[in-house]
Amino acid sequence: MYDPIILAQIFWTGLASASPHVLMTVGFALTLKVTGLWNFAQAGFMAVAFYTMYMALNWLGLPIAVAVLLAIGTTVAASLATEAYGLQVLRERQSGNLTFFIFTLILSEFLIYVITLIFGTEPQTLFKSILSPVQIIGGVAVSDWDMLGVGLMIGGMFALWLFMTFTRDGQFLTAVADNAKLAELYGISARRSYRVTAVIASLFIVASMYLIGSHGGIVPNTPLELVLSAVLGTLLGGIGRVFAAGAASIFLALIQSFSILFLASRWQNLLLYGFLFVAILLFPRGVRLPKFRFALLAGR
Amino acid sequence: MTNIVLPRRQLLAATALTALAAPAIVRAQSKEPIRLGTAMPLTGSQAGYGADFVTGMRMAAKDVTEAGGIAGRPVEILALDTQADPQLGINAVNRFIGVEKLPMYFVAWSPVVKAVAPISNREKVLAINTGANAPEIAHLGDYVYTAFPLADVDISKLATYSVKTLGKKRAAVLYINNDTGIDAAKIYREFFTAAGGQIVAFEAYDPKATEFTGMLLKTRAANPDMVHIHGLLTDVPQVIAQMRQLGMTQRVSTYSVAYNPKILEQLGAAAEGLIVTSLAPGVAENPRLTPFIERWKKEAGRAPNGLPYIQYQYDMVLMAKAMYEYLDKKGIAATGESLREALLAVKTFELPMTGQMVVDGHRVDKPVYLLTVEKGQFVPLATLS
Repeated sequence: MYDPIILAQIFWTGLASASPHVLMTVGFALTLKVTGLWNFAQAGFMAVAFYTMYMALNWLGLPIAVAVLLAIGTTVAASLATEAYGLQVLRERQSGNLTFFIFTLILSEFLIYVITLIFGTEPQTLFKSILSPVQIIGGVAVSDWDMLGVGLMIGGMFALWLFMTFTRDGQFLTAVADNAKLAELYGISARRSYRVTAVIASLFIVASMYLIGSHGGIVPNTPLELVLSAVLGTLLGGIGRVFAAGAASIFLALIQSFSILFLASRWQNLLLYGFLFVAILLFPRGVRLPKFRFALLAGR
Repeated sequence: MTNIVLPRRQLLAATALTALAAPAIVRAQSKEPIRLGTAMPLTGSQAGYGADFVTGMRMAAKDVTEAGGIAGRPVEILALDTQADPQLGINAVNRFIGVEKLPMYFVAWSPVVKAVAPISNREKVLAINTGANAPEIAHLGDYVYTAFPLADVDISKLATYSVKTLGKKRAAVLYINNDTGIDAAKIYREFFTAAGGQIVAFEAYDPKATEFTGMLLKTRAANPDMVHIHGLLTDVPQVIAQMRQLGMTQRVSTYSVAYNPKILEQLGAAAEGLIVTSLAPGVAENPRLTPFIERWKKEAGRAPNGLPYIQYQYDMVLMAKAMYEYLDKKGIAATGESLREALLAVKTFELPMTGQMVVDGHRVDKPVYLLTVEKGQFVPLATLS
């Protein structure tokens, strides 16, 4: 088991399997950073994204690119509608945090319930086959799905970093995240920043659901379970630290993958949750690594 | 318009003749129905099977009612959702007993059967398992019986067959870490070893896991010549797919859960050689099955999910019929206690879809039909009696 090729395989597959979770976590953490909301409605948007692609591919027989574009359209629309007609209304009423939390959770359940009525509860995959072509690189099995996952993860995080660092809208997100009222005094529209955040989070959600839905079966309830991993990554990375949340998701996936070396598979989740319990207890604001070396990851 | 006036005597005679000549269904439908409760996952990840189980039972209820009913009474199926979740199973059974006042009900999925067993024993209401296979079900109490062979029937025979007939000597057992997998995996290990084989890897995975690479690499390092997977429809295809992607070419066996056309679609060529079990006769052994499948396709517009399981669900209504009619002949009211006595007294049931069933204490024994995947189709491999 300690053969270098086996270790490399565990590392590579752990990294690839982390990719959809990283994308989902980055979207979730960005929303939390900018809007200050634990937006559980994202589970509902994840279901919207997956089932739009599923319908486009399997019911309408459309090409993959069109299915993905449709999913981006419906997810962005659902996300913006929620922002404009739900969250903004609650903000204007100066509702408490608990109201926001309950609203997003109920919205998620509502969307999932409607999707269940339309699509049923059988596990569905985007494509009939869940097999992905594999090539052996240096003794390590690398599937096309792995490459796509890692590519989307790196590309998505890099694109977000470029956006937040070099565009005015991106810099406005950071300003609104730091202090929305102060940002508005300087002429930055917080409402626009919230909407930009909703669009970016939707793009990450679609990418994530494409990866998950082409790798295994999904039922309408699956996104509610998946969003938990986004919450864990966000907590461990530290609230407001988007890229650190993504890195935390990778770290959690690798911890889980490598634990097989010294633990039976059935203990893997126990180890994961035990680790999280200790991390949250000892580092309630997330694990902060030295800033001078990890400024990029911290996203500041 | 002419009014026809019949003398009273002729009218009475005509009424009596009409009543005698009327189809049995008319008489059956005019009486209080016999309601059979079934607690199945109608929503959630297992609904693909659960909903079809109920459809199978409803088809049988319709057939039995049209053929005169149970002791002249129509049959109704009362289905409640469990989502294969023990807590929801308890809710469903409490409603069967407390609200619907049913003396017996059907139930499946091992964790649910185990959860509801104490209620059945306490309330003396008969619970009949129609699809769960955890061996522990045989020891759940006086009011919990099974009509479905438990894992010690098919898994023991499959393990022995793998060594003695297929010549496999080193098996890996990968199983879901819940009531479905744990006991069955132990049985496979016990019988594979008893037949002269060696278990080189014995790994459980989390029921919510989607990534199995670490476990599979560990398995690959143990160099098995056979891999037995005991999981559910959501995870078994993923385990096999990831196995093949890691270059593991060993023959894979599993149980009846994978006897499902969806597996063939999801795995394509990776499913070749897969061995599954079936505890009900196929079309080659039972001529009633082809018309049943045709009827199903006509009514549901697709093939059934888990055909052998559905054959059992259909037969449960016929089994209930035999038990109720036994009590009716003796003039005994149907209660949990009397139905339990009827089950043990009738003992041998001749059932149309699954053949003869002999209740042997809290177990039933049946032939095991092995199928394998060849050119994208399930084909018979062996029948183990």
